[in-house]
Amino acid sequence: MQNPTHDDRHPGLTAHGAELLKRMREHPAAPLFRNHSGHRLLPMEVDAVRQHSERVRCADIEPRPHFAAWLPAFLKRVREQVPYWRLHAPGSDELGDWPTTSRANFAADIAAFVPDDLSLDRVINFRTTGSTGHPLLLPSHPVVAARYLSYHQRAYRRLGVELTAGRGQVGVLLIGWQQKCFTYTSVTPYRDDCGLAKINLHPVDWRHLSDRGAYIDALAPEVIAGDPLSLAVLLEIEFEHRPKILLSTSMQLLPGLRHALEARFKCVVADVYSLNEAGPIAAYENSVDGHMLLQPELVVEILDANNRPPGIGEAGDVVLTGGFNDYLPLVRYRTGDTATLERVGGEFVLRRLLGRQPVRIRRANGSFLNNIDITHALADLPIAQFSLHQRVDGDLDFTVQPGPGFDLDETIARLNRVLGSAKIRAQMLHKSEGKLWQYRSDIVDSLERSPVT
Amino acid sequence: MDIEGAPLPLLTRRIAEAPADFLAMPRIGAAGLVHVDAIARDVLSSRGIDVPITALAALSSPISPREHPRLALLICWLLVEPQLQWPNDPNALLALLLIRARELAVHLSAEAVIADDERREELARLTLMALGQRPAGESLVQARDRWLAVSTMERARLVDASRAAEQRARAIREALARKAAEESADKWSRE
Repeated sequence: MQNPTHDDRHPGLTAHGAELLKRMREHPAAPLFRNHSGHRLLPMEVDAVRQHSERVRCADIEPRPHFAAWLPAFLKRVREQVPYWRLHAPGSDELGDWPTTSRANFAADIAAFVPDDLSLDRVINFRTTGSTGHPLLLPSHPVVAARYLSYHQRAYRRLGVELTAGRGQVGVLLIGWQQKCFTYTSVTPYRDDCGLAKINLHPVDWRHLSDRGAYIDALAPEVIAGDPLSLAVLLEIEFEHRPKILLSTSMQLLPGLRHALEARFKCVVADVYSLNEAGPIAAYENSVDGHMLLQPELVVEILDANNRPPGIGEAGDVVLTGGFNDYLPLVRYRTGDTATLERVGGEFVLRRLLGRQPVRIRRANGSFLNNIDITHALADLPIAQFSLHQRVDGDLDFTVQPGPGFDLDETIARLNRVLGSAKIRAQMLHKSEGKLWQYRSDIVDSLERSPVT
Repeated sequence: MDIEGAPLPLLTRRIAEAPADFLAMPRIGAAGLVHVDAIARDVLSSRGIDVPITALAALSSPISPREHPRLALLICWLLVEPQLQWPNDPNALLALLLIRARELAVHLSAEAVIADDERREELARLTLMALGQRPAGESLVQARDRWLAVSTMERARLVDASRAAEQRARAIREALARKAAEESADKWSRE
């Protein structure tokens, strides 16, 4: 499919869906929408998504390999259909005998992980930079994207919230806070074409800053979803609407911000551990002080660097097998995040989860920049991975593992353009030293205070 | 390959010593000398397998690969080796003469089989495999490994598979890079 049309993006669009799309896009306080997107679901796929949602709603979660009834058939399938595993699968059906994989394997050749028997006609991609800064296009499909909501709903129900938004209402407002952000409006056919809007709270996308609150009030979304950086910005915007739930994904939600959000919006704040590679994996529950697993067909192992379980009570790498993305079946995929896996009251919980920390980097003029914008600024450079550490005085330590054709001067110039002539000390790594902790800041308010640029 | 059959050297030597009549040009239409279909029928009949001549028509057909009847003729010579055990299933023999020989003919000539040690081994192993046997004294694993090492067809299959895999990988990369893919599709969250 080349240059999709409006009909390609919204097959089977209802009259009330079309009306809602128009209202979201043309509201007087609407931001600049820079892009187009849609659910792309065909009518029979809408039913399949509803059925999937019902299965996820009722299913037991069993993350241990020896108790996962679906696992043998899954391993047989990847061994036969996935080019990478045709070469690397062991003779054994014992998951523990299979090698682990990582983002580096995907980066080397993502095509080798797509099963041979899947059609490529409607492949979509999810672009991810990950915490190593290595940009990557992950294969997916409209049905896979639509399945996300099933897992969110499972998490919401556990937190006591049932979604009800439907015809004529806005189901979700996705918020970003980036200088450059993919923004659009859409509808959700498996919820009677309720609305979805993805907006950027950054001032660059608004005619007037006060429009941000007016627009949120006008849309009155049932869910507002974003990363901790954009949710922190939300705190500074004046509006009356109270969503039923705030969803935080992408980065670790720190307790201070959670409490501030709960206090301001008087609603449930769901913190979902989610990766582009695997979708929503687990949701935080205060009662168990950990992230409760969400996917019935996902084996979760905690492994040390030698593929062995760490000592009792010790955290290890979160390693995943299975998942719901047919186009990217995971086998012992090392997420790069660490946690313990514990059983609490018969249910499985990730505890002490350490994922990606949200960090804002202070520019020379005192304003702050989202780390995503820095990643974007360097995204097309031949960099294997990098880290940026801001000292208390604002100076920056930039560590980079270069790729072929890397130009340090160009890289520093790019950093200076987004950061405004910062003092940068650069260090080159000529061999991999493992996953770098990509962004760090010693500036106290790099996590807590909302910026206005 | 479940059971041990004749020794490999016996079969390769027999191929090397094929009489001139079994290397003559097959009769196709008005050209050629040897009626391969008739010889094949006689060979099968010698061990009590009677098939109509029309079932062997591919061995005299102008649309068959040129080397097909010639390789089938060499296989007939091999099949009359007294130490070679035949299975009860006549379909296995027909498949050998009509299908396996045809597949081999795409990659190999009768001259190459006579002239080259490894190609003789390939034809001998192919014949044994078609009869459900492996060379005497070899384990199943040894027989499989050796077949993969000498098989022209297997090599060609691997090249084809490799080419197909590369085409598929290119198609995936192109599909991911398309503007349509870039636009993505709705998720109720972002990572």
